[in-house]
Amino acid sequence: MKNKILIIEDDENERMLYKEELEKEGYEILTASSGKEGLSIIEKESLNLVILDLRMPEMDGLEVLGKILSKRKHLPVIIYSSYSQYKNNFLSWAADAYIIKSSDMSELKNKIRELFEGQKDEL
Amino acid sequence: MNYKNVITFILAGGKGERLYPLTKDRAKPAVPFGGTYRIIDFSLSNAINSGFKRIYILTQYKSFSLQRHIREGWNILSRELGEFIEIVPAQQRIGEDWYLGTADSVFQNLYLLEREKPDYVLILSGDHVYKMDYTKMLNFHIQKKADLTISVFEVNKEEASRFGVLKVDNEYRVTDFAEKPQVPFTLVENPSVSLISMGIYIFNTEILVKRLIEDAKKSNSSHDFGKDVIPSMVKRDKVFAYKFTEEGKKESRYWRDIGTIEAYYNSNMELLEIDPILNLYDENWPIMTYKPQSPPAKIIFLGKNVEILNSLISDGCIISGASIYNSIISPSVKIEKGSEIYDSIIMNNVYIGENCKIKKTIIDKYVIIPNNSVIGYNIEEDKKKFFVSETGIVVIPRGSFI
Repeated sequence: MKNKILIIEDDENERMLYKEELEKEGYEILTASSGKEGLSIIEKESLNLVILDLRMPEMDGLEVLGKILSKRKHLPVIIYSSYSQYKNNFLSWAADAYIIKSSDMSELKNKIRELFEGQKDEL
Repeated sequence: MNYKNVITFILAGGKGERLYPLTKDRAKPAVPFGGTYRIIDFSLSNAINSGFKRIYILTQYKSFSLQRHIREGWNILSRELGEFIEIVPAQQRIGEDWYLGTADSVFQNLYLLEREKPDYVLILSGDHVYKMDYTKMLNFHIQKKADLTISVFEVNKEEASRFGVLKVDNEYRVTDFAEKPQVPFTLVENPSVSLISMGIYIFNTEILVKRLIEDAKKSNSSHDFGKDVIPSMVKRDKVFAYKFTEEGKKESRYWRDIGTIEAYYNSNMELLEIDPILNLYDENWPIMTYKPQSPPAKIIFLGKNVEILNSLISDGCIISGASIYNSIISPSVKIEKGSEIYDSIIMNNVYIGENCKIKKTIIDKYVIIPNNSVIGYNIEEDKKKFFVSETGIVVIPRGSFI
């Protein structure tokens, strides 16, 4: 079974780019353009990972993260943001990883692989 | 030392079920105590007297009277100077549940820590009665380079099983911690004495945040400091025990967890001793509260031989030819002629008619006792009408009609 990943990202171009890149890695990708949409998908779907943008209109990523923590405590979350300053924000510490966006997505891809490997070990 | 680096959380969310019916309509920290106080006044006074003036009170159940008390009585700090006492109801900022446990109540308010970014976090319980200078504990915490410091109280081994019990090495570093153990750890130097946690913690903020997030993600956790967070820290973080020293005393003897009607009654009665172990009259460590404006207590002689002995009589009371022994009379109580009160706690605005006999009874606010009532003399009869505790203390709830 393919690992299922949800990407929450308000920028459409980026969303599509990540989806394409990660599908190449062999994952099943769902996308949401807002925190609210993302949370409703999290409610319905059984997911293995969430990739979360921070700066989004209406509900920002940290708020989404808080809600994920209360609803699906064990769902791993990777913050994927252009901004590093939220690293000092205590709420961001609740994510499993905090990765700064870059044109080359290798850091993100490696982290995803690492998280899934770790999950296998636990099983 | 810059005390602005400290944020204080007072946990005031407990239901206080074992204090029923005093907690029927109010949170446990709002239960009146010692005539003019409420239980939370002790933690608040300690924090203010210690110079820790950035305080959040975390509430959830029945917090109306607590909120009113804080608003009316504790509006004494200066927001302009960065000081505050703020009430934070469980508002589901992060989660959608009520607070699941003590650790969860702080976790759900992580955004407050994010906003203030303190170096240290002091966590207190809103339902304990004691006098303590937290700066001494903070200095100890800093000196030991601790991640977490827990204030401890020495009790006889037999009493320790109701509490979190610590095992320490000779540096007072905590080596083990058990919540409500059947067989408590004891001191190496004295096997009849155990160290119990007073529910007073100083954390380095960063480690607190990390451990709270970790705990929040654990599905088998009850999200409680004593049951979950602290045991998980003992083996890997630097956890120290700080021996409680009491303000104005050479020896620390007074710390009470007002958990039950019995404990509540006894700790009130202790105030009546000639040299009470909790001294409310220490000008260097004032216990502050909210007091409405009221005239002095008035004792009227109506030709009958009356006595008032070993009692606290608050402002606004009128005692007209009644006798009072070993009792606490709260503000604006009226007691009519020929009545006799023994070993009782009478709360604000109670009216006691003529020729009543009342013994070992707690009467909550705004109760009217009709003439010739006899309460506390026949437990079986009292049980038909009132709440009676295991040891026979009668409790008449607020506003009852008799």
